Amino acid sequence: MASVFPSEDWFNEVRSVFNSDDSYRGAGGGSCECRSAMKIGRRVFLLNFEGIECAPVVEADKGALADVDFYLDMPLADWQAMVKDIAANGGASLHYTLNTLDLDRAEGLSHSVHEDQFREDLFFRYNQTFQFFFDASARIKTSFG
Amino acid sequence: MVKGPYIGYILGDLNYRREPGMSEAVDLATVEIELKLDWMNRQGEWQTHAKPGKSGLTLADIQIGSYGETPEISDNMTGRPRGAQARPGSFRIGNYSVRTKNEIWLENASFLYEEALQRQWSSATDVPWHTIEPLPDDIEEAQCELATFLTEVEFVAGDVPARWISETTPDYFEPRNVLLAQVMDEARHMDVFRKRALANGGGLMQATGGTAGVVGSIDLARDFTEMSSRLHISGEGAVLTIFRMGELMAYNDAEKAIYRLCAQDEARHVAFGVMHMRYMSEEAPDRHEEIECYLDEAERQILAGSQNPAGNQTASSEALAILLGGGVAHYDEGFRKLMAIRRRQLVEYMKRVKSAGFGKRFENGRSQVKEMMAVSAA
Amino acid sequence: MAKAKASQAAAESAAGQAGAIDGIPQPKLDWAGRSNQWGTRVKPNAYGLRLGDLNVGIYGEIPDQWQDQTRNPRGAIPRKGVPPLGFAIRDKSDLWAESSGDLYEEAIQRRWAPATDIPWNTLKPLNEGLERAICQVSTELCQYANCDVETITSWQHQMAYGYHEVKQFLATASFDAARQFEAFRKRALSNGGGLGLEGPGQVNRMILESRGGWTEAVTYLFLMRGTFTMTMLRYLERYAHNDAERALYRYTLQDKARQMTYGLEHLQYSIAHQDDMALIMQQLLFIGDRVWAREMKDHVLMEALCVVFAGGISDAGTTGYAIYRQMMGDFMNSYVDTCEWLGVKRQPEMMPNSMTQYLKVN
Repeated sequence: MASVFPSEDWFNEVRSVFNSDDSYRGAGGGSCECRSAMKIGRRVFLLNFEGIECAPVVEADKGALADVDFYLDMPLADWQAMVKDIAANGGASLHYTLNTLDLDRAEGLSHSVHEDQFREDLFFRYNQTFQFFFDASARIKTSFG
Repeated sequence: MVKGPYIGYILGDLNYRREPGMSEAVDLATVEIELKLDWMNRQGEWQTHAKPGKSGLTLADIQIGSYGETPEISDNMTGRPRGAQARPGSFRIGNYSVRTKNEIWLENASFLYEEALQRQWSSATDVPWHTIEPLPDDIEEAQCELATFLTEVEFVAGDVPARWISETTPDYFEPRNVLLAQVMDEARHMDVFRKRALANGGGLMQATGGTAGVVGSIDLARDFTEMSSRLHISGEGAVLTIFRMGELMAYNDAEKAIYRLCAQDEARHVAFGVMHMRYMSEEAPDRHEEIECYLDEAERQILAGSQNPAGNQTASSEALAILLGGGVAHYDEGFRKLMAIRRRQLVEYMKRVKSAGFGKRFENGRSQVKEMMAVSAA
Repeated sequence: MAKAKASQAAAESAAGQAGAIDGIPQPKLDWAGRSNQWGTRVKPNAYGLRLGDLNVGIYGEIPDQWQDQTRNPRGAIPRKGVPPLGFAIRDKSDLWAESSGDLYEEAIQRRWAPATDIPWNTLKPLNEGLERAICQVSTELCQYANCDVETITSWQHQMAYGYHEVKQFLATASFDAARQFEAFRKRALSNGGGLGLEGPGQVNRMILESRGGWTEAVTYLFLMRGTFTMTMLRYLERYAHNDAERALYRYTLQDKARQMTYGLEHLQYSIAHQDDMALIMQQLLFIGDRVWAREMKDHVLMEALCVVFAGGISDAGTTGYAIYRQMMGDFMNSYVDTCEWLGVKRQPEMMPNSMTQYLKVN
């Protein structure tokens, strides 16, 4: 059965794929200590990495953005486009990698409430881990309810 | 591969050579000696039980008791591991110029070192080289120009930290180990851009000479913090942006991977600089003005100079604009993108310097960065 | 100079189109078309795309002397008028080993992390004498690693860019040493013990004081100290008391073996390309042997190894010492054999008795 994007179920299904595949721990992936959030339209999902694993993903309210190192923010349609691209190609194609989405959009993708660049830089420091995570979504069935 | 009586080490083979082998039959106890064992009473703090946590047994896990205490000033001239029992007759081997903690320390060095170990990658096998296809000539030439520049500059950040490592007391081994990981990272960067230049029908082009040993350069810094402010904050901060641009303008998955993985490493190096400067700011207020002067110089010479290819009219910035635009015919479009990214680069730089504790310079008119942003926005 | 194909068309195209937009400067494109060799297309193979694979055409021409004092990549067009950086090592015979590029790639492929690749949970409490001995050995291995770090990093920046393979390999070697320093510190602090007594430091000083050049440093760091460390690690692995230590010694042994390959191959190259290098090495080792012998008179490391090999204090003076002598015999035989293989004469009468006594063991 397909998981609906975005939802806690969807993120946690991706998380299971990510956590169970050792290949995501090499090739520039690996240990990652970071608290992030995905702001999808008006909804917020907290994505925390501890060591080599992603912790259970929970939905939160907007106030939680103040506590994360950075959050990725796009309108729902843009998130859906990214997830569809990943599903179609088995991983993000050239125009849908996270860094490209960040630089290619006038308003950017990665943001923070605290404006501390040291913490915002974690988006770059762990970029491969986040890319692996979303690329893992190609291995689950997604619906867009 | 060399063959000799001792080496015999075979590439790719798990086994080191066992010849000349260890004797299987040891002639036991034909000679007996009496051991003094006096050294057993001359050891460091005992009863230390570091336990592995979720991330294994990390450097943070072994900061126990006296082993976690780092001296403000190191009198260790013999190279002994911190916490080991000193031997009065030991030779002074250390020619350490970095012996004061605030000169090199940062709070998260152990963490950055473990992260560097865990997130290593291989340019030979982790880049999908097979995805590279022939590109239009102007694009390939621009890629090769950029790759030549990066091959040239990347090991500045290997050579220079290496020299400082050799002058740092092992009492501060945590930051030293981060720098050793950086030297390793930079070797890989130098190598991956050489590979890119030679992998797709192009070649290396002309060097920029931008890493010359002139006054004010990273090479000639006479103080570790001076070097770090130039290298980690200004220099690598700028290169991080180039790598991010490289990922954006990649024409295949191989280039995507190269730039993304290099950007990860570079962000770690930048983090070292920010955290060291923050420590320095908090622990050595008497050096505050001196650091401001380094930042003045760094902003003048690196952000505005030829080491920053996003600056106007360097060979590398022209190459970037061609790549961002999608060819020489779209240079203007690429140039606009370049300027937009350059503004973000400067915003990120300012936020890093603020995070390091030197943000007032952007409010009191000391920094020229806002003027740079205005120029690039015009 | 090979002309890159794009250059002419690019310049014309740019001249016609860019610059027409207000505020956007016209590109000069004076860099375009400037390549010593264009049309290079190196393909990955079963091992990926390795550094050595790039040595095609002019990019693989490695001259005996590298006069360029800038960071110009080998094969790129140098820029005139660049102030020099003052690299001291610019002769190939002073640093080269043919396998450097392959060893660099191998070091990356065979990377490991003490935090997660050592099964620390297999450490169990040992008898106190044994724990103290292992901690003492770990302390001295830390100190050896520190010497490796300081020696290699003090030479790296002095090496010219034309020999980038060596610079890159040495980056892995100093990183290996950092890991060795870390790994043995972790072992000392993880099983109820602590660090021990620091070593005498005479050999460390000799290695660090190799003012005569990198080849001299390699002679002491790899041929002499490296051979000993490798032999010791092999015996420690053989007589390890749990899987964690076994893994620890095995991983560091692999790293050390890689460094030895570079070191010995470089010495071989240097001897083959410099008239009196074998004689110089003979002199260096004549001096070095005596420093070595003085340091080995110190009983601390020897006793600690005896206790480790015997599994405790009670049999350390008998079984432990016998194994120690065996180890020293292996070391001495390897050392002398390697010298002979290199063409450096090492008659026993040239060496201190405290070293040659072990030649009789095996």
